[in-house]
Amino acid sequence: MQIRLPRVLASALVGSALAISGLMFQGLFRNPMADPYVIGSSGGAVLGACIGIFFFSQISIFGFSATALLAFAGSVLTMILVYALARSNGGTNVVTILLAGFAVSTMMGYSSYFFEALDRSGTSNQSVLLSWLHGVIGIPRWSQLLISGVLFLIAIVIATPLMRRLNTLALGDEYAHQLGIRVEHTRIGIILTGSLLTAVAVSLGGLISFAGLIVPHVARLLLGPDHVRLLPVTALSGAIFLVLADTLARSVFAPIELPVGILMAFIGGPFFLYLLRKSKRSYVL
Amino acid sequence: MNSLLSFHDVSFGYGELDVIRSSNFNLCTGSCTALIGPNGAGKSTLLRLAAGTLRARSGDVLLNGIPLDSLAVRHVARTVALVPQQLDVPFQFTVRQVVEQGRTPYLGLLRGPGRADREAVDRAMELADVTGLQHRIFNELSGGERQRVKIALGLAQEPKLLLLDEPTQNLDIGRQVELIDLLHFLGEEGITIFASIHDLQLLEGNFSSVLLLSPDMPLTEGTPQEILKPSILEKAFNCPPRRHPLLLERVQHHAKKAG
Repeated sequence: MQIRLPRVLASALVGSALAISGLMFQGLFRNPMADPYVIGSSGGAVLGACIGIFFFSQISIFGFSATALLAFAGSVLTMILVYALARSNGGTNVVTILLAGFAVSTMMGYSSYFFEALDRSGTSNQSVLLSWLHGVIGIPRWSQLLISGVLFLIAIVIATPLMRRLNTLALGDEYAHQLGIRVEHTRIGIILTGSLLTAVAVSLGGLISFAGLIVPHVARLLLGPDHVRLLPVTALSGAIFLVLADTLARSVFAPIELPVGILMAFIGGPFFLYLLRKSKRSYVL
Repeated sequence: MNSLLSFHDVSFGYGELDVIRSSNFNLCTGSCTALIGPNGAGKSTLLRLAAGTLRARSGDVLLNGIPLDSLAVRHVARTVALVPQQLDVPFQFTVRQVVEQGRTPYLGLLRGPGRADREAVDRAMELADVTGLQHRIFNELSGGERQRVKIALGLAQEPKLLLLDEPTQNLDIGRQVELIDLLHFLGEEGITIFASIHDLQLLEGNFSSVLLLSPDMPLTEGTPQEILKPSILEKAFNCPPRRHPLLLERVQHHAKKAG
């Protein structure tokens, strides 16, 4: 129980955080292909965390380790970069998002390996990095869970009123402005909150692909696109989905425990390709 | 009459080129004004300046005598609604969900829609005749149906000034007549109408005044009879009337009537 419970809680937090940030990014990009992994936000968080763990592991600010703060910064900066690259005429083009996200993710991933290569101090950091890049949900300390849980709750509190704004933003920036929304402020709020959630997920489970894509997508198929209704359902089903996936990943090849990130790539990859094929017809904006 | 919206020496351009050059005009409360002009003259730009989604390069756009720039966007959104030519909605939003967005300026960050908002949405859908479509997916509608949904969205804002960008496009002749009737009805309700209109035949009897925007001449304002003259139209549209028999016939008819 001492081992199981923290791990299940961590999986639930990771799944929920990824699903909500996926929902927010899809709304922001007005595009169902956006997901923290696909658009590179997770990669940015890993790189930030990496820099933190290799260079500033002793520093903490207001009780937050430099690692956590840099993971958040990495996630925010990557999002801003990809968003700026992918935007045109108030919408985003699927192809540009995917290419920009791919390029940024690759840069972030290899930068992480670069820091690993530079670090000759010991193997402990390297194994931490590897588990991040593979998407392993480890057994977190209670203190780590507590901090992540608090940050998650803060993000949810900020995200809740933004959901109605996401519905309005779906009509396009110009229309949203015409309806009395301060578009830039709203957009910054969404980027910061989504990135915070990504950073929470990455700090607990590393790079887990496609969870943020599948969960909001299926929820939208069942409930329609109203973000206000989607938020609680996405949060809950994201948690359940990743707890199940992690349990499966650990038991299929028992006693070998598969990182859940690998399982998600097996499930999420084909799903992503299916969506991409469909999007060629209906989602080109 | 009170001036609801006025342009004072407003200029605007994309890049180097000015599309709108020191233009002046007034829209009186309760008036129904058509904006006409050749393709690319800047009709949509002018409407977006009036709605505050574009900012004038110089000059002032005044709403009730107050510069639009100095008003809160939310306040402007409760007074002015723009029905654009194009509306792309990602995801499978229903017609009702789209029209509900028109209530945004009345909702707070935390306050959701209440009974008054639902009633405004119902009324807007009824006026634009889309109540029967309310559960359909917006993206699956025809061009004409979408046009009516966009108008319902604008009406849900309960504006005092309704700006319409080519509202008759995509509408068959029956729907055009319905639209014109709706504009008359809204006019009687006290809503000021300002619409860019492509089809000059719709002007007479339906609009109290006409604004003519053309790259080759200053912004001209007048009644339909004053503007629909061969000399003016020929110059504005760069089109010899004899090459356009229908236009010529209408124009001569008006010239005769005007004496």
